[in-house]
Amino acid sequence: MLNDHEIYSTLDMLNNAHLDVRTVTLGISLFDCVSDNLDRFKSNIRKKINFYAKDLVNICNRTGEKYGIEVVNKRISISPIAVAAAPFQENEMVEIAKTLDEAAREVGVDFIGGFSALVEKGMTNSDRALIRSIPEALSSTQRVCASINVASTREGINMDAVNLMAKTIKQAAHKSADKDGLACAKICVFSNIPPDIPFMAGAYLGIGEPDAVINVGVSGPGVVKNEIEAALKNKNHGLDLGRIAELIKTTACKVTRVGELIGREVASELKIPFGVCDLSLAPTPTVGDSVGEIFQSLGLESIGLPGSTALLAMLNDAVKKGGAFASSHVGGLSGAFIPVSEDLNIARAAELGLLTLEKLEAMTCVCSVGLDMVAIPGDTSEEVLAGIIADEMAIGMINNKTTATRIIPVPGKGPGEQAFFGGLLGHAAIIDVKNRTGKNNFVKLGGRIPAPIHSLKN
Amino acid sequence: MKKAIITSLTDDRPGVLASISASLFKCDCNLLEVSQTILGSEFAGIFIVSMPKELNEEELKKKLETDLRGENINIHVKPLKESKTFETPCDPFIVTTFGPDRKGLVSAVTSAIARHNSNVTNLKAFFHGGDNPRDNVMIYEIDIPKSENLKALSEDLNKLGEKFSLEINIQHKKIFDNITKI
Repeated sequence: MLNDHEIYSTLDMLNNAHLDVRTVTLGISLFDCVSDNLDRFKSNIRKKINFYAKDLVNICNRTGEKYGIEVVNKRISISPIAVAAAPFQENEMVEIAKTLDEAAREVGVDFIGGFSALVEKGMTNSDRALIRSIPEALSSTQRVCASINVASTREGINMDAVNLMAKTIKQAAHKSADKDGLACAKICVFSNIPPDIPFMAGAYLGIGEPDAVINVGVSGPGVVKNEIEAALKNKNHGLDLGRIAELIKTTACKVTRVGELIGREVASELKIPFGVCDLSLAPTPTVGDSVGEIFQSLGLESIGLPGSTALLAMLNDAVKKGGAFASSHVGGLSGAFIPVSEDLNIARAAELGLLTLEKLEAMTCVCSVGLDMVAIPGDTSEEVLAGIIADEMAIGMINNKTTATRIIPVPGKGPGEQAFFGGLLGHAAIIDVKNRTGKNNFVKLGGRIPAPIHSLKN
Repeated sequence: MKKAIITSLTDDRPGVLASISASLFKCDCNLLEVSQTILGSEFAGIFIVSMPKELNEEELKKKLETDLRGENINIHVKPLKESKTFETPCDPFIVTTFGPDRKGLVSAVTSAIARHNSNVTNLKAFFHGGDNPRDNVMIYEIDIPKSENLKALSEDLNKLGEKFSLEINIQHKKIFDNITKI
């Protein structure tokens, strides 16, 4: 029989701290759907998505009920469309996005990720067609998410792609101006994109992945916060940062175990392989489910103040260690997210001016992703936006880690004003960008920034 | 093989298990399974043994009582039939309750569990009184047939929670195992 403490601590995690499985993401390869006939291609992908995903939502709900752990989101990731739909032009890419949106709606998932291209070294015609179609594709669909990998440690930074993405993001914001540029919340620009991310908007199914696979995204900032606060309350004497890191690691391990249990059961019911567990502290705009609140639990008045980068480094590392100990198949991003609008506490820090773009960028050196859900003034120039993206890509390239941007230039709004995205995407104050309407001749030089010396590993 | 199940009750003290097991050995019994616990200050032991063919259960009881005379141990012996175990495919769950003590709690919870054809495989309960909910706890390990409606059982338990002002949780045992056992 389990001992009392084991039972109490588990119940505390389950009942008081928002422990849930944030997403079960079904990866589906679309490579066997290829055709140079648009109607046939659309029909093929719709059939294949329906074949694998028709029971996904029911099985996730059933499994969640059985274990008393809610599977909050059920999602689909697919092969990069720029590869699977290589023969098609820009307007046809929009049609494909609409088919994906419809297929996702039919099976009841809220997002489908993989309207993607991998262009870190160069762009094919289909890569260009897909990227150029993004503004129309994402503003005329609800569920489709796009991710474009423009840089990697092995290949350097494709600055032509960075410039094209800056232009694309501006156009997408303009096309969804009535919703504060919401389309941009579904566009991620990556350096070193992992092939098995379950979290949106960056999820896509990599080229070396199986025909279908279940990847699980487990969250739990509330669980970590509660454990820290309980420990500080009970063991105030002698609880230094080394022991707090150990506590975070242990908690992350427990949370990952739950996620893997659920993921493996869903995979088994669907009769497809289990892929990875991505343990990421992914906040929602809910009190008690915030990464920013962890900063306050540990004694910082607000995220963004001096000490934030050191704290985030410790948090991110402890989460990764806990996850790695819990499961042999940890993947995706695994760490701590700092999405500004999706975290009430971080959004508040931005509103008060305690969290600036520069500090956010510094923190992305040690977090698991990057500049995430950052609303900037709508009149920020393409060149300046390209500069922000390039800086973030450079951090990923040089540090051999994943970085990304999900930036929303909010049309018609300026610094300090609020942008509203709704639902899990939340709302946030618009963060100022220095010299935002100025020129940036550096990024306009284009070409490729060469890969760093440590890419030469062979 | 002839088997018997022996139950024993006595005041707990050092040497109780030693005395009983020594007597069983003298009676040429072989221990197959033992479970013991202490409730309050009382020792309770249950022994499954294989016993000599020439003895019947009544004779074994008398031999043990004679051997353990002066130790004030209540002994009961009954034949153990090879019975079918609970063979329905089941999922293991843990039901926990926290809240104020009052008469009829165990009866109410176990009745709800029984109504859903579920089997209690282990129960630990203590009621120390007072305001701290964790001083009044019941922890049931139960097997729920896969064919049973888990939601209906959960709802029944929640109703009991409301009636008795208890915090009741029902959770799959694998969750506890995965979180606590690595």
